[in-house]
Amino acid sequence: MAASPQSQSLAAAAAGRNPPHKRRAGGKGNPGHSKKLKRSDEPVRRSSKPSDKFLKLLRKRARDYNSDDDEPLSESEEVSCSEDESAVGFARFEQGCRAFRVAFSKIMAKKLPDDPLGPVLSAHKKLVAAKLAEDAGDHKPKGDSRKEKRMAAEKGHVIPANHLDSKEKDLIKVATQGVVRLFNAVSKSQNSRKGLSPSSSKDAKVLAKERKQTFLMELNKSSNQSQKGQASSNFSEHISKDKEETGWAPLRDTYMLGSKLKDWDKMQVSDVANEQSATLLDDSSDEE
Amino acid sequence: MARVRNSNGRRGGGGGGGGGRGGKGKGKWKMPVSVVRKQQAAMANVDQVTGAKIPKSFVFSRGKISPTLRHLQQDIRKVMLPYTALKLKEKKRNNLKDFLNVAGPLGVTHFVILSNPKSSPHLRFAKSPQGPTYTFQIKEYALASDIANSQKRPRCPPEIFKSPPLIVLSGFVGVEEPFKSLVEYFRYIVPIVDPATVKLSTCQRILLLQFDKEKEIINFRHYSIKLQPVGVTRKIRKLMQNNQVPDLRDLKDVSDYVTKAGYGSESEADDEAATVSLASDIDKLNRASKKSAVRLQEIGPRMTLHLVKVESGLCSGVVLYPEPVAKDGVEEKGKEIEEDIEGQEDEDLMESEDGSEDESEE
Repeated sequence: MAASPQSQSLAAAAAGRNPPHKRRAGGKGNPGHSKKLKRSDEPVRRSSKPSDKFLKLLRKRARDYNSDDDEPLSESEEVSCSEDESAVGFARFEQGCRAFRVAFSKIMAKKLPDDPLGPVLSAHKKLVAAKLAEDAGDHKPKGDSRKEKRMAAEKGHVIPANHLDSKEKDLIKVATQGVVRLFNAVSKSQNSRKGLSPSSSKDAKVLAKERKQTFLMELNKSSNQSQKGQASSNFSEHISKDKEETGWAPLRDTYMLGSKLKDWDKMQVSDVANEQSATLLDDSSDEE
Repeated sequence: MARVRNSNGRRGGGGGGGGGRGGKGKGKWKMPVSVVRKQQAAMANVDQVTGAKIPKSFVFSRGKISPTLRHLQQDIRKVMLPYTALKLKEKKRNNLKDFLNVAGPLGVTHFVILSNPKSSPHLRFAKSPQGPTYTFQIKEYALASDIANSQKRPRCPPEIFKSPPLIVLSGFVGVEEPFKSLVEYFRYIVPIVDPATVKLSTCQRILLLQFDKEKEIINFRHYSIKLQPVGVTRKIRKLMQNNQVPDLRDLKDVSDYVTKAGYGSESEADDEAATVSLASDIDKLNRASKKSAVRLQEIGPRMTLHLVKVESGLCSGVVLYPEPVAKDGVEEKGKEIEEDIEGQEDEDLMESEDGSEDESEE
């Protein structure tokens, strides 16, 4: 009984305090008044308008309420109660709240199970669990697909070891053999014609002969010597083809006339197209 | 159209242009521009010393390929240098016909096509106007950068890419038909070396293709050639190479510098098989008529290739390998011929066929 008038008066006081603010703002007619002011206005307007009737209603409600048992305290009442510090109201509140306090402290004292979800109300718990599961389901396939994609993109990519294994060493050996053969052939061919000058016709003849002979000999010899003889390089190709010609290419009769150029193109195409085992000119010299 | 920058073509054309301008200067007869241009183009495609036609290549990719494969493509381009377009740009809408149209005027004779059908990388080697096409599956590959990372002291000076690689084909002795023509193909993919006129200083790289008969795979390796004089200690070698005053602080006598054994790899016994006597001077250290040891160091890329298909045309035509089954043969032939090299769809179709062929073979 006593608490309610107190609260009413307080509300009235609040109502009484605020309206001047509003009136002042309106009187100035300032269109650009701050939002803060406006926001504070809103509740004030509502409370001030139905002042008498509303207060009566509130009072009646309070009376009704107080006539009931104190057990169910609505939150709004509670707040208003806690705000006012009058001794009588406080005592009442204390009494009414004891049950609540006990319950609350009990809950707080409760030991929580090791739940990853944490302290959540049971109804909510299901929802959160479902949501978490959904999220996890979403993330996992994403990562997986990305990984798969990456694996597919890297297919066949092998990062070599830091040391040379026996296979690589063998390959290097084969390659070295090929290089040595080329260098030897080059040195033989270039040494033999060092003294001769290709410009004089007499020397040119000798040169041509020598090149042909020494070269074929050299190739045969080298291939006989190395019984493994796997390495066959492209250098030998040219020999059989234009052994007759010497000197700088533009000086020759056949320079860019095309028979040779056409040859090497066509030979292959026809070779492959017909699938014949046509032996080319240089096969004998090259493969043992 | 494919945007193509072929620096070699332009550079080679410069020499021819000089002659044309000389004639103009005398004022007697002015050569038509078109003729000059044609001559220049012809000159660029022919070796000035030997008169042989220079094979040129395009290395490009079809379809979508992963970044690693794109690196591989660039590595293969570097292998094919200098007669290839290192910065060839291709667009999605470029089809094979575009490349073919550009290839003619530029004198490009070889295509190397990288593709990734069904996410298994494939490499196709083709002759430009009419084929044939050899399709390989890349079983394993390692990029040049991977190989450089695996080495303690990677050696890859940019000068070595100024001359074409030597090609060494190994293990192809007495092989059957598809490989026989393959040998021919690979022999002509780089300019032919004429032993009488070649400069040894241009032999800087070597491309090894080693055929493994049992596994039917081809090992693709790329090495740099290094020559070291035999019987010269490491210190003297370094002194000659570096052009620097050596650090003699800790030595009591100058002779110590020569006689004191370094911690270097002196133990590397010079293999007798790997020594050559040179015909001409290569550099300060490797003089003519002196013995030099050949050292190879891998520069990558490294690939293991498995031949899956040979076609008579450029990515089309009759399938020569694997030999089609007699019953399906007629159908297959008809289909293959119908299929032109026009669209991306066709391309994809063909690639998927590659894949199926692959499976059937295994």
